[in-house]
Amino acid sequence: MPDYKAPMRDMRFLVDEVFDFHTSYAALGATDASPDMVSAILEEGAKFCEQVLAPINRSGDEQECQFDNGVVTTPEGFKEAFALYVEGGWNGLAADPAYGGQGLPHSLGLMISEMVGASNTSWGMYPGLTHGAMSAIHAHGSEAQKQTYLTKLTEGTWTGTMCLTEAHCGTDLGIIKTRAVPQADGSYSLTGSKIFISAGEHDMSQNIVHLVLAKLPDAPAGTKGISLFIVPKFLPDPATGEAGERNGVSCGSIEHKMGIKASATCVINFDGARGFLIGELNKGLNCMFTMMNHARLGTGMQGLCLGEASFQGAIKYANERLQMRSLTGPKAPEKAADPIIVHPDVRRMLLTMKAFNQGNRALAYFTAQLLDQAHRADSAEAREEAENLLALLTPICKAFMTETGLEVTNHGMQVFGGHGFIREWGMEQLVRDCRIAPIYEGTNGIQALDLLGRKVLGSQGKLLRGFTRIVHKFCEAQAANPQFSTYVSQLSGLNKQWGELTQQIGMAAMKNPDEVGAASMDYLMFSGYVILAYLWLRMALVASDKLAAGSGDAEFYQAKLATCEFYFKRLLPRTATHLAAAQAGSDCMMSMSAESLAF
Amino acid sequence: MADYKAPLRDMRFVLNEVFEVSKLWAQLPALAEVVDEETANAILEEAGKVTAGIIAPLNRSGDEEGCSWSNGAVKTPDGFPQAYKTYAEGGWVGVGGDAMFGGMGMPKVISAQVEEMVNSANLSFGLYPMLTAGACLSINAHASEELKEKYLPNMYAGTWAGSMCLTEPHAGTDLGIIRTKAEPQADGSYKVSGTKIFITGGEHDLTENIIHLVLAKLPDAPAGPKGISLFLVPKFMVNADGSLGEANSLSCGSIEHKMGIKASATCVMNFDGATGYIIDAPNRGLAAMFTMMNYERLGVGIQGLSTGERSYQSAIEYARERIQSRAPTGPVATDKAADPIIVHPDVRRMLLTMKSLNEGGRAFSSYVAMQLDTAKFSEDPATRKRAEELVALLTPVAKAFLTDVGLETTIHGQQIFGGHGFIREWGQEQLVRDCRITQIYEGTNGIQALDLVGRKVIGSGGAFYKHFADEIKAFTDSADSSLSEFVEPLKGAISILEQMTADLLERAKSNPNEIGAASVEYLHAFGYTAYAYMWALMARTALAKQGEDDFYASKLGTARFYFARILPRIHSLSASVKAGSESLYLLDAAQF
Repeated sequence: MPDYKAPMRDMRFLVDEVFDFHTSYAALGATDASPDMVSAILEEGAKFCEQVLAPINRSGDEQECQFDNGVVTTPEGFKEAFALYVEGGWNGLAADPAYGGQGLPHSLGLMISEMVGASNTSWGMYPGLTHGAMSAIHAHGSEAQKQTYLTKLTEGTWTGTMCLTEAHCGTDLGIIKTRAVPQADGSYSLTGSKIFISAGEHDMSQNIVHLVLAKLPDAPAGTKGISLFIVPKFLPDPATGEAGERNGVSCGSIEHKMGIKASATCVINFDGARGFLIGELNKGLNCMFTMMNHARLGTGMQGLCLGEASFQGAIKYANERLQMRSLTGPKAPEKAADPIIVHPDVRRMLLTMKAFNQGNRALAYFTAQLLDQAHRADSAEAREEAENLLALLTPICKAFMTETGLEVTNHGMQVFGGHGFIREWGMEQLVRDCRIAPIYEGTNGIQALDLLGRKVLGSQGKLLRGFTRIVHKFCEAQAANPQFSTYVSQLSGLNKQWGELTQQIGMAAMKNPDEVGAASMDYLMFSGYVILAYLWLRMALVASDKLAAGSGDAEFYQAKLATCEFYFKRLLPRTATHLAAAQAGSDCMMSMSAESLAF
Repeated sequence: MADYKAPLRDMRFVLNEVFEVSKLWAQLPALAEVVDEETANAILEEAGKVTAGIIAPLNRSGDEEGCSWSNGAVKTPDGFPQAYKTYAEGGWVGVGGDAMFGGMGMPKVISAQVEEMVNSANLSFGLYPMLTAGACLSINAHASEELKEKYLPNMYAGTWAGSMCLTEPHAGTDLGIIRTKAEPQADGSYKVSGTKIFITGGEHDLTENIIHLVLAKLPDAPAGPKGISLFLVPKFMVNADGSLGEANSLSCGSIEHKMGIKASATCVMNFDGATGYIIDAPNRGLAAMFTMMNYERLGVGIQGLSTGERSYQSAIEYARERIQSRAPTGPVATDKAADPIIVHPDVRRMLLTMKSLNEGGRAFSSYVAMQLDTAKFSEDPATRKRAEELVALLTPVAKAFLTDVGLETTIHGQQIFGGHGFIREWGQEQLVRDCRITQIYEGTNGIQALDLVGRKVIGSGGAFYKHFADEIKAFTDSADSSLSEFVEPLKGAISILEQMTADLLERAKSNPNEIGAASVEYLHAFGYTAYAYMWALMARTALAKQGEDDFYASKLGTARFYFARILPRIHSLSASVKAGSESLYLLDAAQF
């Protein structure tokens, strides 16, 4: 297994130099997040991830979670690591101080979760789900619910889950069957079975707080009849507030999966369990959507996390593994062969990995900064601007970063040759762990529909223009920059094509709604490549300025420029394919009958 | 996971209707004797039965159980030994084997279909007969008559298995630096010593004996790949009367724990002064290996197709049964709570991508197999030479392209299942894990791409490439105007490939790194163009018969999808290749 080292230099580059988080933290009143504080937190977080989480990643995969008679045991070291995490205050880092959190910006929380996910994705699921439950309760719970649950969740003595999926419905939540029957005391009695519940049962906390989607007996059909409930594993003792009587909730089994094997994926049965409505009746999906942007960005980052871990393994191996001579003559004549990093095709894989990882990190941090703005900006206008951009970027972050993350982990494995396929080396685990990211939290196909259907066309193009305008202004400002003129004009052309493509699909979709789904995935990928091009250019500009100023660290900045060049020359051309496919229309996929497809 | 069903209808379409393969057989006397359309159909039908009925049911359980190692012995999963016996008794291990030594003598284009079926049914299982068949090819082409008579009949019969021992811990791609030694003995045999890793089928409980073909160096061998010899090293010595004697000095040190193909034993093999017999002349080992390489590499390519086909069969069934959300154009299954997901365009995009790549791959691998048969059996030297050169050109494409798109296909097949695709029980994730090795072994796909561009295209000064391009151009020139919707984009593709080839030939003159910088994308552009040719050929046949049954309408629809949605990938590939090697060498190793 590759040792994980937090990519501090690149994180600092984005935080300090490209996006200047310090100025935005100050402007948003996040005075606790001083530059020194941010730096100290990142360093401490890195230590925790490198020293505590990374060493139990491979063993966690081998041991998996164990289920016995309703009880789930996590792999060795998981419980202890969680206790350390809680003790270190990491769980409440970005949580509301009113309920015991530290009130630091969400973006900082996401940087920590990048390191957590890269060192141990399975482990990261437990705090990750807890954070999701926290934000839903924070946004929609009553004050009493916040005092009872949010405080414990923030502290980390209790953990959370999100119970949405049932055996017959995942994407289509309108048809769920779990029932909530109102009780005389104002509570509800919940009955039903939920599947694929991450962290639904485990041995890491004193209590587990399930957020459950269910329908009242008289609820309207479809998505408008869904309500959200808090259903704790142990009912809080009214006197002490601690976990008390056992509720009618049990774990029926855990799934045997391709990856994230140390994350307990549970069947959770509710058998007349006591639940408490959160938010308004029949508004359950809305409550869920509050936390969706955050959760989807987090899932997108898993692509980055696993890609980063894979790159760290691959680059080390490529420098050490000796095999064949360079085609331009021996580079390590004293050895039996050259290190494989001399071979162009190995470099192509490494640079593809590097360009996606660093581009995706820039995208994640750019989006995280908007998340701060949406949460904290004083002016409603600034908040709305951020929310609109987030609405556009969230499905792209989720799907593009996980698609490219899977590609990256596959390259990392390929660099290892046959050894990549052997579990011992750890590279194949990263592929398996990454493979869930394009699926859960809304499949990437669903993200693409969300982007093109709901966000872009649903706003008559307004949300898209909010971003293309930024790119347009950037290109105008850089038009005269001789060093980057080729790239600027490439980006500017793609930005224009993006709008044109949107119009074409919009026109076609007015006649035939199938045109949206026919184009959506390629549209999303096209969008992702253009956004990364914009972000790579921004990074390159900073690197070039730093080099010109001679402020040291020249190697790092040169590497940025070189990776940017690689991105523009070798990866950005993929837009041509996605453009052509998105323009191809729905006829060629919709005209065949289901029987005909089955031949 | 859906029950496996051999895609016999499509195989017959490709062989009998598109390529009219019996016409080729009629021209090749060695094949005319043993095979015609009727025989071929019967063989495929039988193979479909045994693979679907006996071997496919062991696929999931084999993955869960894996192979286990204890004290040098390897136990395959439950049911494997019995199934192997049935498979061997049906003659399937020797289906492509030399009839002189008890093989069935079938052309590669037939054994390729059998390979597709067995590997779809159970890739882990399929590797055991495949390695045996590969070892037989080398023995038959390069060993003495004595060795052939002694070993081939039992290997073809499946009572003995084979393995290929190439890789060592420090040497995989770079075989020139292997350390295994072979010391000549007074009786003409050799004592072989060394450690080999990643030996598929190196040890197991399926057969009475295992015949290892081992690459090793003689004490006085020249350095590098020119000093490698090939040895036949049996697990049990074979007596003069053919009975098994004492155990040879070799052992299985351990087996690997892998991402996939868990029921295939991947062994560390230790040779400790084991008795071996040289195959071919000293220092001719790599050449002897390369004889079977083209066959094996096509076979590995077919594994990509096999897993993709299996994944599709389950995905199409699931997409028709799973109900979730309503169609964008209004409810389709109004009696149900939601519509089957096959109504959703994005699900169809994935299904059609799978289908068009699978069926394109089946046609292309069959086409390459026909070239192999022509190269081996034609009596006309010019025909043979052209076929050999086409084989040389197309083999790396078949190996790498079919496995690369095979991985894409299995990933789509998993995605269609949503969360269930990630759960082992449903079987879709196993296909991804199993398929993943095919891009790595038998020469990584990066190595295949270098072979294609460096050795084949540039090495022949473009001559091999020209055979293939000329054939396509002859087709497009003579095609009827009713085919223009397929022929025009095919012409576009071939002209892009033409330009890429010309550029590469030119640029490689000044900088050898240009080859490796372009190779993978070039190979992919080549693959998409080759599939476009296949799809145009299939569309031609289907167009003529579209009134006959829905099968042909399905072909045409899939062809249209391929040209509209998949072929455009070549634009990005050619743009990327144009960028050259420069952006790969801006960084020092330390700057990564």
